[in-house]
Amino acid sequence: MSGGQYHRPHRRAWFMERPAYIRFMIREVTSFFMAAYLIVLIVTLAKVGGGEAAAAEWLQALSTTGWKVAHAVALAATVWHTITFFAAVPQAMPIYIGEDRLPAPIAKIVMGYGPWLTATAVILWGVLR
Amino acid sequence: MAETKTITLELFRYHPETDSEPRFQSYEVPYDEDWVVLDAINWIKDYVDGSVTHRWSCRMGVCGSCGMMVNGEPKLTCAAFLKNYYPFPIKVEPLVNFPVERDLVVDMEGFMDKLQDVKPYIIRDDVNDTSGGEYLQTPAELAQYKQYSMCINCMLCYSACPVVGHEDDFLGPAALALGHRYNKDSRDQGRTERLEVMLSSEAMWGCTFVGECTVVCPKHVDPAGAIQQAKAMGAQEYFKRFVMPKGAGATKGAGA
Repeated sequence: MSGGQYHRPHRRAWFMERPAYIRFMIREVTSFFMAAYLIVLIVTLAKVGGGEAAAAEWLQALSTTGWKVAHAVALAATVWHTITFFAAVPQAMPIYIGEDRLPAPIAKIVMGYGPWLTATAVILWGVLR
Repeated sequence: MAETKTITLELFRYHPETDSEPRFQSYEVPYDEDWVVLDAINWIKDYVDGSVTHRWSCRMGVCGSCGMMVNGEPKLTCAAFLKNYYPFPIKVEPLVNFPVERDLVVDMEGFMDKLQDVKPYIIRDDVNDTSGGEYLQTPAELAQYKQYSMCINCMLCYSACPVVGHEDDFLGPAALALGHRYNKDSRDQGRTERLEVMLSSEAMWGCTFVGECTVVCPKHVDPAGAIQQAKAMGAQEYFKRFVMPKGAGATKGAGA
């Protein structure tokens, strides 16, 4: 005998219930790797600021297999996070031309992949020339 | 004579007078490829078990009454065709993230309260003054909010949203999208007033952009997009308070 409303129990593993929730969690977890890499980058800049010897010593420390794997994981996580971020751009920042909304694939290029690839090309040109 | 094809529906049953826990009950229903899940439930109620309780009205995806979980997905049962599930059984439950009143019927009261919280109507200083005629609006101004005005309050987005399931006070996708709809309306002057509600942590900042509200929306409203735009609008309003003289930063509305 009950007599009242039925409330479903809270689900601790709610993120396992739908593939979209799992994708969401993966997207969120990639932020951790991006943050960790930023810390490494900040330390690297500090070492470079500390002189050539300190920078060389730091780069030597980063050349171990463990650090290389960490960098590869951070790169993969960052690329995935970037892709999901650009996928959200047309929703979060719609562009209207008159009464027509810019189609999502074009918006992704204009506001996401275009500037990203351009910036990457400029940086590579600056580093490799 | 050819044997009549059937399909099994497993209905969530809960009668508060007699049940302390819900249970599932199976029904064999004649299979017709033109039938939707709602037709099958209606057939059960009409011919097998009149005690089955569910909510429905228009049967054409307009009223938003017949939202239920169909094999774990929030769906309008009037738009979920049996042929998409046949020959496998179909499990039908009330929408998740809502208290269950009886069988497939959920309590909508909390949802209705949340809708009212965002002041879903045009707010104007001159609301009683009609001497100037109608408020004109260009097609471009209409396009800014039209998509967000298509909501039928079916609550599928609330069932798809994990934040709704874990934060009772979270306003939720439909309410926030509706608030954004009025904030984007060039005739409205109530953006500041509305954002006071929408800027709280229980409102749009509670959204983690899972995005499933947009995926399940049968009217393509895109609540997730509306909420992210509302966040940007809210952040602009917040920072305007610091850089603008007192009172000058308050934006009355999209067209004001």
